Amino acid sequence: MRNKSIASAVLLSAAIAATALSEPDPDPSMESAAAPARPVITLATNAQGQWNFYLDGEPFPLRGVGGASAPGLLEKLKEAGGNCVRTWGIETLAEDMGDGERFIDRAHRLGIKVVPGIWVEHERHGFDYGDEDMIRKQRERVLAGIRQYRDHPAIIAWCIGNEMEGPASPTGSIPVFREVEELVKRVKQEDSSRPVMSIIAFNPGKISNVMAHCPSIDILGVNSYGAAAGAGPALKAAGWTKPFAVTEFGVRGFWEVATTPWGAPLEPTSHEKARTYYATHTLVTELNEGRELCLGTFAFLWGWKQEKTATWFGMFLPTLEKLPSVDAMAKVWTGAWPENRCPTIHAFTSEAYAATVAPGRIVEVQAEVSDANGDAMTFDWQVLEESRAQSEGGDAEESPSVYPVRFIRDRDGLCTFISPDKPGDYRLFLVVRDGRGGAATANFPFHVTARTSKP
Amino acid sequence: MKFRLMCQSLLSFVLLTAFATSTARAQVDFGDHRSETLVTKAWNALGSGDLATTLIYVNKCISMYEAEAVKMQAAWPSLPANEPKEETFKRWALNDVGTAYFIKGEVLLKQGDTAGARAAFEACATKFPMSRCWDPKGWFWGPGDAAKQKAVELGFDAQ
Repeated sequence: MRNKSIASAVLLSAAIAATALSEPDPDPSMESAAAPARPVITLATNAQGQWNFYLDGEPFPLRGVGGASAPGLLEKLKEAGGNCVRTWGIETLAEDMGDGERFIDRAHRLGIKVVPGIWVEHERHGFDYGDEDMIRKQRERVLAGIRQYRDHPAIIAWCIGNEMEGPASPTGSIPVFREVEELVKRVKQEDSSRPVMSIIAFNPGKISNVMAHCPSIDILGVNSYGAAAGAGPALKAAGWTKPFAVTEFGVRGFWEVATTPWGAPLEPTSHEKARTYYATHTLVTELNEGRELCLGTFAFLWGWKQEKTATWFGMFLPTLEKLPSVDAMAKVWTGAWPENRCPTIHAFTSEAYAATVAPGRIVEVQAEVSDANGDAMTFDWQVLEESRAQSEGGDAEESPSVYPVRFIRDRDGLCTFISPDKPGDYRLFLVVRDGRGGAATANFPFHVTARTSKP
Repeated sequence: MKFRLMCQSLLSFVLLTAFATSTARAQVDFGDHRSETLVTKAWNALGSGDLATTLIYVNKCISMYEAEAVKMQAAWPSLPANEPKEETFKRWALNDVGTAYFIKGEVLLKQGDTAGARAAFEACATKFPMSRCWDPKGWFWGPGDAAKQKAVELGFDAQ
């Protein structure tokens, strides 16, 4: 593979430092009339010392998301002003967008850049970093992914692993970091035209081990929720000088919020979540120490998933309505609100909020909701049994069952229902829709006691 | 993805308790008037849902010790890494006044005074960024850092 200087004269004049990447090799299979050109990718600092991606010499701040793999979500990313998407596994790139077009081709057609994740196995899933056979197979799989997609013009960087060092570990696994370094070096041998990132579950205690054992990575990705705004200051304080990106952030995690006496976390409303997305991105990229190292962010999750609840992390409903966190990201990406705003839940109150109620009791709930566009809103209420999953690091969870409570009133944000007869932990969900692709959500946990029999 | 937001735990407990309890007002007692005493009484009042009494304690702490806190902040533009706990506690006025401003912001927010809450959070973040508050679970959190995030979050509503 040829190595060429890729920084343009203009870029060189502005750059204080640049990560040397090579110009892409021509791919014989892409030389047809339809083969799009690959951009020249550079990582460099400008005259103010701000690290940036440059594509063909033009700054490319990462306005990214994680997810977007369901049909229709890449289009919504484009519409909101996002410019980049990351995946956790390379297989996502080939997923069918519903009409035969692959995810990566759809992204490229829309002008969205892609940072493919190539999964690096986790010790907590049984992978043994002392097992040579496992190591060999993993290396082969990682490099096969690079070879398969390295000529695709949508890809601007590779991401080797996601939280592979141990999400809950305060310092990360040294054998894993060492193997990541080996993988990154091998990836660079396969493709020296793109920077290579690796992603950790952020903890300041891991930074020194990353610096000591992974010197070849070009970008550090950090996944962090409630503490995301502190990533830049912590990295800078630890002596990190390369660029970083916040590769998962958003609502405070269920492990970071208040809980009921029986341990059920209190999920913020969709409006409270939107505030956090807005504040975290703004703090990391504009206000906090270390912002000059930050290439941008990837909001989590441009889609939906069951993790503690069905609505905790998702920025969309499965019915494809956007939630207020999407509007918040559109605002920070473009400086303007989208034409159609999601409804806003200002308050969500009930005597049963985070409380214990008797079985078969009438429970009232009130939601104070508005819509900036004046759209007519619909209110959907549902009671689910509380999830008992105790997964770690975003591992897959089963959805809890809907409990068939009797709703006796549902009008304009006021709901009355009969609490379940069965003792246990439950959660009441509200989904408000504006009928034009916007929605808002809120929920609260409640506990139903056992029925006491009269003597 | 599970790096805990350490500063949330104590505060979350207190706020949840405050949410769940009545707003009965307790008799105000400044005790020995030490900053630590006033802040502890403020946390307790907040935990029992007594927002008015909470404000009295934090305002007392701020009025008595803000000048000393400003001096300490000026002497500590940054904090040493891995500082022993006892050293952090020596910056008592900075820590307690920063915490008092943070609690004040939370109280005003709960009272619906968004502008006042934002002003309190901004004062905490800009005047006392190096304040630290001990969580009984075993770590310090930064009222200044948390207040900065709160202030920007409240700015979202003004957009």
